[in-house]
Amino acid sequence: MLFRFLSSARLVLVGGALSYRALFNWTTPPMFVGTLLVGPLLQVFFFVFLGRELQVADDRFHLVGNAVLAASASCVYGGTMAVANERRYGTLGAVLLSPRHRGPLWAGRALPYVLNGLLVSAFVLAAAAAVLGLPVPVEALPGLALVLLAGAAACSAFGLALGALGLRFRDVFLVSNVASSVLLLLTGAAVPRNTLPEWMRTTGELLPLTHAADAARRLTAGDGLDARLLGTELLVGAGYAILALALLAVFERGSRRRATLDVM
Amino acid sequence: MLAIEADALRRTYTSRTGWLRPRRTETEAVRGVTFDVSRGELFGLLGPNGAGKTTTIKMLNTLLLPTSGTARVFGHDVAREPVAVRRRIGYVFGGDRGLYERLSALDNLRYFAELYGVGARDQKRRIGELLDLVGLTGRERERVEGYSRGMRQRLHIARGLLHRPDVLFLDEPSIGVDPVAARDLRRTVAGLAAAGTTVLLTTHYMAEADELCDRIAVIAGGRIRALGTPESLKARVGDRDVLEFEVYGVDEELLARVRRIPGVRGAAVEERGTAQALTVQSDRGAEPHARVLAALDGVRVGRVVSREPSLEDAYIAIVEDATARREPAEVTA
Amino acid sequence: MTRVARLPRLVGVGVRTHVSYMSRSPIEITFAVLVPLVYATLAVYLFRAAGDPDRLLTASVGAGLMGIWGSVLFGSGGAVQNQRWLGTLETLVVAPTPLALVLLPITLATAVTGTYAMGATVVWGVVLFGVPLDFAHPLLFLLAVPVCVLALGMTGLLLAAAFVLLRNANALANPLDTPVWLLSGLLVPVTVLPAWTHPVSWALPTTWGARAVHAATSGGDVLTPMLAALALGTGYALAAVLVLGRVERRARAAATLTLA
Repeated sequence: MLFRFLSSARLVLVGGALSYRALFNWTTPPMFVGTLLVGPLLQVFFFVFLGRELQVADDRFHLVGNAVLAASASCVYGGTMAVANERRYGTLGAVLLSPRHRGPLWAGRALPYVLNGLLVSAFVLAAAAAVLGLPVPVEALPGLALVLLAGAAACSAFGLALGALGLRFRDVFLVSNVASSVLLLLTGAAVPRNTLPEWMRTTGELLPLTHAADAARRLTAGDGLDARLLGTELLVGAGYAILALALLAVFERGSRRRATLDVM
Repeated sequence: MLAIEADALRRTYTSRTGWLRPRRTETEAVRGVTFDVSRGELFGLLGPNGAGKTTTIKMLNTLLLPTSGTARVFGHDVAREPVAVRRRIGYVFGGDRGLYERLSALDNLRYFAELYGVGARDQKRRIGELLDLVGLTGRERERVEGYSRGMRQRLHIARGLLHRPDVLFLDEPSIGVDPVAARDLRRTVAGLAAAGTTVLLTTHYMAEADELCDRIAVIAGGRIRALGTPESLKARVGDRDVLEFEVYGVDEELLARVRRIPGVRGAAVEERGTAQALTVQSDRGAEPHARVLAALDGVRVGRVVSREPSLEDAYIAIVEDATARREPAEVTA
Repeated sequence: MTRVARLPRLVGVGVRTHVSYMSRSPIEITFAVLVPLVYATLAVYLFRAAGDPDRLLTASVGAGLMGIWGSVLFGSGGAVQNQRWLGTLETLVVAPTPLALVLLPITLATAVTGTYAMGATVVWGVVLFGVPLDFAHPLLFLLAVPVCVLALGMTGLLLAAAFVLLRNANALANPLDTPVWLLSGLLVPVTVLPAWTHPVSWALPTTWGARAVHAATSGGDVLTPMLAALALGTGYALAAVLVLGRVERRARAAATLTLA
């Protein structure tokens, strides 16, 4: 019993770490720094200045929102690459032949991106707050860490669900491209959600990062941790995780029937 | 004037691995290659994979700078006057890449005609001629993605000939092309040479080289191991008998045993579907038939044929010699 | 002399070839247009919330300019790499035409295909948000956009050259997206930025191109920024010619033209 648990844990940790190195395209230092750290940081500045000009919301709104959103680059693309690149490199068949349980296998895939996303959000938040002079209360830090982690986890599950589409459709990276700009629009990280029409607000409720961004804003303003927002974010994440596993299972079976695995 | 002069060409590749602490490794692809090609000659460059054929061609067509040595095409230095060289050469390589797949053959040719400086008034006629020459007339408005490998290869050739080059470099043009298409290709190449175009051809199909080339250089391990007409190369093994055994399951160890038989000068094995073809070259009159069969004890043997030495046998003898001796002097037949 | 006379035709045929090549993948076009549409939507809502309804057209046009820049940044930056993947790079280099003149039509073509985004964002604004098409100078707008495309396409040549010269070019492309939007005032006027960024803004052809296009949309001097954009673009293209000379020589020495 214990052995089986350890074996699963090993699959999650070691398998995940290995697949991260093998399948993530952005692990070279210049790519990592450029795409995951500098890029999102500059995006924060873009929206902060846009916000200052239009006076729709204050610096805190744009800064914190975009910092939370920064995790999406790592999580959405990472989740996609974790599955879709396997197909691109022609190794997917070998992975699917594995007798292991799919749950830990795919969870292990997503884990590195969760940590990666957390790191990116934390960095962007710290750097942007330092440059733009936004005070963040020290006692908010543990809560912030928790909220950012929940956001990154939910977003990675979302990414994995998109990646699952990669088992079925070819141009899945273009889908993740659009998905990350949809996150930008609908999660309210960049635009105050009360300015959006009703249906967009509802869709935003169902996307990852929406609640994490709200919770993070309250924390930095010194309002303490809102457990309901955190819980909702985790719930959304769990929903996508279940969706991802379901899609992976369906497409895995479908691909065996249609023999689409080795088709590029 | 000579069409191509290569003098002591060398080329080393440096590759770096690792990001924080890069390590450099150097490989010598070509180690001093010298040869001349006269105007109008069809010259073949033969050798096993990785022998340095493509590197040599790319130094001659200005894509690569020689590490040392010089080369000239119609008197123009390939390193210092690349544009003058490029005006006079065409370059065609094998495989099915290198075309704009989503465009038609006609659009591909129009675009390259512009890049290769074909005059606006001349273009239409020239493209029509070439489509005729390579037999693509009537299909020129279809997108290249629907073309077969042979058709793509013919389109490549048409592209390489747009500006009427004096020298045509053909780097393994028949790779992956079916036998009928390969025969048409040989006919086209022979026609070009007959019309006065100098052709430098690399291939590993011996029959192709034998049929087409005026002279052949065999290159292995980055050096020229033999150079001469197909006949003179064949004469190198003219004092030998060749036996071909159809066998099943000969390995390196057995091959070494065959090579040790007195009178045997060389042995090579080639996969042919489920069977293998074991070629044994021996001194004339050595009659090793029985001894080879004895050495192959336990291996299933099918038909045995005795035949005259071919260019392929000469090639095998030269390449085996080169690998066996590691550091041989260059030979000219 | 004949070679100079050949130039317009060379560029024309090249641009036509590459634009039609890039336009034949419906899925690529769709997705290239979708992201600017998201930005256009975002900009429209933000401008509305700010109580700036007369700037809605500016928002659509600004998002369109983002699309053009994105197309140039990724398309031109990756121009050499793309040709390498197609296996056509060697045949292009072996052509007797100088490399800069081979690449210029490709980078211009990336700017031209970027205008799909401009068309899409403007139509999107009109159809979905009822943004009125009240261009201050409609004719000048139709002139300013092609000039902007030309200037950005020429700048793309420098990107193409620089991205080959510097390894890990993609690492540069991703973070270069937003700062250029910001610094060239595609949505926000550059005047709200800190003063030390102004010289950077002035050095970007996108700044002047955007100023011309925005002026044609909502009023102001169109011709001066248009000429400035052209001058900068030409300057960058000339700089690219110098860089490409080095790039080509280095590629021949280091054997980096093929995929291997």
